[in-house]
Amino acid sequence: MLSTFLSHQRKSFWRSRNRGSSIAGQIVLGFFMLYFFVLAIGAGLSMAHLLNYFFPGQDVIKSFNGIILYYFAFDFIMRLQFQELPTLSIIPYLHLRISRSKIIKFLNVKALFSAFNIWPFFIFLPFCFIKIAPAFGAITTLMYIVSIFSIMVFNNYLVLYIKRKSITNTLYTFIGMLVIAAFAALEYYKVISIMAGSDFVFRAIVAQPVYAFAFTLAAIAIFYINSGFLRKNLYVEELSKKQEKKGSTDYAFLNRFGKVGELAALELKLILRHKRPRSAVIMGFFFLFYGFAFYKQEPISRDAFGQMMFGAIFMTGISIIIYGQFMFAWQSAHFDGILANKIDFKDFIKAKFLLFTIGCTIITLLASFYGFKSPKLLLLHLAAYLYNIGFGTVVVLYLATLNYKRLDITKAASFNYQGTGATQWLLMFPYALTPILMYVPFGILNKPYWGLAVVGIFGLIMLLLRGFWVNYIAKRLEKQRYKIAEGFRE
Amino acid sequence: MILEVKKLQKVYGDKTVVNIEDLQIAAGETVGLVGNNGAGKTTFFRMLLDLIRPTTGEVLSKGENVMQNDNWKNYTASFLDEGFLIDYLTPEEYFIFIGSLHNLSVADVSAYLSQYGEFFNGEILNSGKYIRDFSKGNQVKVGIAAALMQKPEILILDEPFANLDPTTQIRLKKLLKEQAGNMTTFISSHDLNHVTDVCSRIVLVEKGKVIKDFKTDENTLKELESYFSA
Repeated sequence: MLSTFLSHQRKSFWRSRNRGSSIAGQIVLGFFMLYFFVLAIGAGLSMAHLLNYFFPGQDVIKSFNGIILYYFAFDFIMRLQFQELPTLSIIPYLHLRISRSKIIKFLNVKALFSAFNIWPFFIFLPFCFIKIAPAFGAITTLMYIVSIFSIMVFNNYLVLYIKRKSITNTLYTFIGMLVIAAFAALEYYKVISIMAGSDFVFRAIVAQPVYAFAFTLAAIAIFYINSGFLRKNLYVEELSKKQEKKGSTDYAFLNRFGKVGELAALELKLILRHKRPRSAVIMGFFFLFYGFAFYKQEPISRDAFGQMMFGAIFMTGISIIIYGQFMFAWQSAHFDGILANKIDFKDFIKAKFLLFTIGCTIITLLASFYGFKSPKLLLLHLAAYLYNIGFGTVVVLYLATLNYKRLDITKAASFNYQGTGATQWLLMFPYALTPILMYVPFGILNKPYWGLAVVGIFGLIMLLLRGFWVNYIAKRLEKQRYKIAEGFRE
Repeated sequence: MILEVKKLQKVYGDKTVVNIEDLQIAAGETVGLVGNNGAGKTTFFRMLLDLIRPTTGEVLSKGENVMQNDNWKNYTASFLDEGFLIDYLTPEEYFIFIGSLHNLSVADVSAYLSQYGEFFNGEILNSGKYIRDFSKGNQVKVGIAAALMQKPEILILDEPFANLDPTTQIRLKKLLKEQAGNMTTFISSHDLNHVTDVCSRIVLVEKGKVIKDFKTDENTLKELESYFSA
């Protein structure tokens, strides 16, 4: 029975519409997977060096023992946020002649198929074999592995149990991160040491290998608690997250824009009420820190804006790039409704411009803290900002009229490449290269500020031509509407 | 004629899904479109609403081709499927949005909705849910109510009775009958009882073609039943 379930799961994975259907999307996904895999293996193999680097002058085994519990605390928080409940997959089986215990077994096994249950092997096992085995012998090594494996299983089922009891939300994850950070700080100032605690625990295992089974017992205990809970509550509505009451919202500040404002408000709600666009927006705020990597003292002092242009465009225009790459597809579920209703294409396009402008303005204002680093950066940002809202928006919306891929926005964003096609990857080239190419001649002639001015003025002119662009893109949308609607219906 | 269909064809690959030579609908008629699955009903409706480009032929609404301009949207309301609903809105937000497209104020919309308390059976308004969290039947109710709110001259509904509970089916029939004469209604249905009850004219389609087109009378239901059981 279990193997039938698992074969269904395998099919549902490979046949899912969600999977990036294009080859390009798949290759990129595979590449990312490989990258993380290599990274984890690399970290595992070079663990001894890394530990020496971070904790110089300390016995590596002591350091290794010290980080294990930290890793799993972090692992726990991450799981709380990202590990998914394998609940929905059982719906088609509940009414069939399949016993509850089999369904529960299936749920338990399925829960093990998670990337979180692979990393520890890559990260910790190499060190166990390279350092622990020569130092303490086979039995102890085995017990290390048993305890690491047990803690992993413990975390796995504990998180599922917590999630099933619906006592979690993003806020808790955030608080958890803060708690870990606090402990790390206390560690740093040598007030309380988790590392010492972790080391103490594993020293005990070295001294008396049997102690490792304490972790195993804990893992078995939580496994049974979880199974027991499932057995008593095998109802889908009780196992999935609770619903909270939804209210109607009105964005007063958009009302002054009339019908365009209505449409913009509609889209704002779309962003805030779905996981995927919401995380796209949150990503945008994270990219505010991108500047620390791009704005080095040396190019700033040389006025080498060409080098920093990409960073500036990317940072201030992130909301346009990330949200814009799936433009129109965000609305694929109700695109028919938009076409059949009395919505003017021009208003529709204007609303997009309005949202982009608002988003880009907010991000650019927030990014102005780089002004403390050098006031020159503010000029760079201004040029990038004008370019983004003037021309970047046009590029994005033009490409949107070529995008026919449906997008299911209720799914999470991470590792979701649905709706991704070659257009999305190509988007970055014209977008980022145009301003750089405009700047380059002035950079060569050593007139950096002229270069900035040209990029900024170009953006400003395009901004003044917005009426023209609105008409142009509305015309294109009108022409492409059947193709887009058809793609979105699939 | 408020709606005219001329030589309308839709071909996918080598399969002709819709092939309607000529169909005329006069203002005020209530027309029922009947046919088995795959007869091309939904594709036909989508072409009426300019959602699919016809391979050949045209749809004229008040004499104007629906592909050429948007004037028909001023007096046409429709609900084909959930793709017409903006499902992340609360019903109130959705009604207000649709109302705003027809220049109805929030007060107008609430006034309109107040007469639908019975139709909604107290489950739709102030429910604290997004449309996507409703049952299919309640989603259909939202879609139909939003369509009627636009006070359209032409109303197009695809399978409106499916998914509705019996009480609502009867209420919807009453609503549609009351409008007969001043609103042109075009509905499709698999329920022969309902269409013959509501519609003054039945169009029977098979494999994209109009097989029969007649006015309803007391024998219509029997006729249709014998056709479909053959």
